[in-house]
Amino acid sequence: MKYRMKYRATRPVRNAVALALGVSILFGSLSAYGSNASDLAKERVAQSDTSVEQARQTLGKSEHGTVELQQARDKLDAAKSALAKKDWKGAERAAAQAHLFAELAVAKSQSADARKSADEVLASLETLRQETERNTPTQR
Amino acid sequence: MKLNKRVVLSVAIAAILSACSAAPPRNESLETARAMVPQVEQSPRAGVAAMDISNARKSLEAANRLAEAKGKQADIEYEANNAVTSAQIANEKILTAQANEQIANGTAQRQAVLLQARERESQRSADQASASAQRVDSLEAQLADLKVQKTERGLVLTLGDVLFDTGQATLKSGAYGTLDRLATALRDKSGRKVLIEGHTDNVGSDESNQGLSERRAQSVQSALMQRDVARSQITAMGKGENFPIASNDSADGRQSNRRVELIFTEDQTRVAADQP
Repeated sequence: MKYRMKYRATRPVRNAVALALGVSILFGSLSAYGSNASDLAKERVAQSDTSVEQARQTLGKSEHGTVELQQARDKLDAAKSALAKKDWKGAERAAAQAHLFAELAVAKSQSADARKSADEVLASLETLRQETERNTPTQR
Repeated sequence: MKLNKRVVLSVAIAAILSACSAAPPRNESLETARAMVPQVEQSPRAGVAAMDISNARKSLEAANRLAEAKGKQADIEYEANNAVTSAQIANEKILTAQANEQIANGTAQRQAVLLQARERESQRSADQASASAQRVDSLEAQLADLKVQKTERGLVLTLGDVLFDTGQATLKSGAYGTLDRLATALRDKSGRKVLIEGHTDNVGSDESNQGLSERRAQSVQSALMQRDVARSQITAMGKGENFPIASNDSADGRQSNRRVELIFTEDQTRVAADQP
């Protein structure tokens, strides 16, 4: 009972503390958002840098996907210059696009390789069919 | 309602303008995205690019929302372009999967064709083997009921004295059936050879017996040749009285000794070796 009385007496104080806390969280999160935006953009650009480099290595001397790889490079350059201008949103967007183009470059190069192999397999199958038909014609 | 009409009109004008001029319409990326995304979504191989298709769908929906809310053109284009690129990635992955399926199928079919050819080849040699075995069998079978004996020299068929006119080389009509079947067996395969040997008993002079044995052998030869057996398959000779198979002391024995023997061979190597 005695405890409860004490609690009730301190209620206005508690409200004031809560308000102060809420305000500080709000400011804190705002400042955190500011630093997060730049960190996030930097991280994205770094990630895209890796994606573009990986795409370059995957493509090797392949002709396929080179256009997309160049687009990825251009977007990466744009992202980096946006970073320099502290245009976090622009940097993040350009980085995201660079990443997508890098992925497209890889996908195009891989699909071209697969297509080439498939065509070779189909052509050799056709040759084999003709040969076996000539050597051992279907009987009866 | 009025506003909507105006929008429709402006879109129509934009479409006409875009059709006339090379400049792309402002919402080109969005239109492309709207066309491409459902296409990859509906692909039967969509599963191989599920992540990219989901990204494309999200970007397209973001672009649609921005367009509806009259958002900034740059924002709409950013999302629409991302949707297009993601859809393109998905498309390439689908094409890759398709090609890989063809490779797998093609490889499997290649194996099947090879196996089939091998089976066909072995079936063919088996057929040949059984066919030649059958031919030997049929030769034996054909000749079996003609009292053929299997000897070291080959299959030997004996035409008895009763098939000839007494003391003559003329074949009786009773021999014709046998000769027809022999001719068929010989015509069947040119590798088959027949050696015709005439034999007599010891009654009469050596010369007359030699002559009779030769003439009887020759008359069998001509009978076979009349039945279209190649001359190269036949060798005929008279052996006279020198090779009796029974005693000449009894009438039965002498009758057994008066005979024409036909010796069949079907040995390829021997045929080849026969040629100088």
